[in-house]
Amino acid sequence: MLDNNKIKLMTKLAIYEKNEGQEDVKLSKYYKTDFLRYQIIKTVVSVTISYLLVLLVVAFYRSEYLIQKAVELDYKAIGTKVLGIYIILLVIYLFGTIVGYSFKFDSSRKRLFKYRKNLKKLRQYYRNEENELK
Amino acid sequence: MMSLLVLKERLITIYQKIDVYAKPVIRFFMALVLFMVINSSYGYDSRFKSIPVVLLLSLFCAFLPIPIMIIIAAAISFFHFYFVSKILSILVVVVFLILYLLFARFTPKQGYVLVLMPICFILNIPYVLPILLGVIATPISIIPVTCGVFLYFFIAIVKQAAQITVTLSVEDTLQVYTYVIDSLKSNKEMILTIAIFAIVMLITYIIRTRKIDHAFDIAIAAGVVVNILVFLIGDLRLDIQDKIVTLVIGSLISGVLVYVIQFFRLTLDYTAVEYVQFQDDDYYYYVKAVPKMKITVPQKNITKINEKKVTADSVNIKELVKNELYDDYDDQDDISNYDEFDEYIDEDKKR
Repeated sequence: MLDNNKIKLMTKLAIYEKNEGQEDVKLSKYYKTDFLRYQIIKTVVSVTISYLLVLLVVAFYRSEYLIQKAVELDYKAIGTKVLGIYIILLVIYLFGTIVGYSFKFDSSRKRLFKYRKNLKKLRQYYRNEENELK
Repeated sequence: MMSLLVLKERLITIYQKIDVYAKPVIRFFMALVLFMVINSSYGYDSRFKSIPVVLLLSLFCAFLPIPIMIIIAAAISFFHFYFVSKILSILVVVVFLILYLLFARFTPKQGYVLVLMPICFILNIPYVLPILLGVIATPISIIPVTCGVFLYFFIAIVKQAAQITVTLSVEDTLQVYTYVIDSLKSNKEMILTIAIFAIVMLITYIIRTRKIDHAFDIAIAAGVVVNILVFLIGDLRLDIQDKIVTLVIGSLISGVLVYVIQFFRLTLDYTAVEYVQFQDDDYYYYVKAVPKMKITVPQKNITKINEKKVTADSVNIKELVKNELYDDYDDQDDISNYDEFDEYIDEDKKR
């Protein structure tokens, strides 16, 4: 016998699983701190690489000047400046990463919870069916 | 208005029928336009310009997600510039990498904006995207829009530099390089455009989210007006007079375009039919779930003198309020049961 309500519930669950569910289920395997740590590592790596690339572009742009004055340059001052900008950039990005991905994680958990609630309902359907058979 | 609504209903029924094929076809044409624009604006390498190659690549993109399309477009750009000057092609790749790592990585779902922005610039209607994204998206899409604007100006400068290289000898590569960076640094128009687009997006977004009647229409109109005004002020300060006519006309066309898209989106977006399959002990289910359409039949009110007036609208409002109350109740329920859900995870772990 086809049970319309059960089909409706299953359809809802299947649509969720097909769309947002995939990502949510992936996220559900992490604790929040682990997830954030993973994202922070990714951010640090990408910011570092891109900062090095920017430095490369700037250095090449200034190469004539750099080669000419290679002896008399104040490398300590340049180094501190480069490092300072890097730290500022990193702090801004880390802050953004933590705020953004916490929000993402929490909203995914809320959706997942609704999904679990519907799953529970479905389980109830099965229990009722079993009881009827007995 | 009525005929438009009828047209909308018809389009929806057609869309529902062809939904499965529509997405690849749209992606195919998007890729085709993209590759043709790239080839016509800096198609130095004739191998990528031949029609079979372009068609084949577009066909390839039709079945792949948008990020792959962007990567292919970036690769083609690289090869075109590599054909003219090696240093320029390396610079292009480095800039693409920086853009991805620092900005585009955080908004993967809006990668298409990066592609659409330069195309809209070439069509003289770049104002469509900020207004549209202000209406349909959140302010976070300022990031891809900014990247898109930067990309357009960057490519334009690199194109100029590539023309210079033709007359230069190999030793002058550094000159070409410094020319690109110098022009980027002194390009006030780019910074102005980025700032104005951010302002326009924020204003349209803020107005759209207010709880007022016709919020969408007001937001679009405000976006167009603010866009024209701020660009006028900026252009006059930077002494760019030749763009004022295209600015006004382009902004108005953009406004109309956004309005049309918004008009269709309101239903088209929700009529995306879902095909799902699942099974239980007895059956396999292949379900086609069609979202309910909002019926636009005008309602008649019958007023009787000396009798209490009951209109269809008032009943609907009551129902709406009731539903909303229940929704709120549901949400509270979620939060209170949140701990219970956490237990589930522990159960999983125990297993």
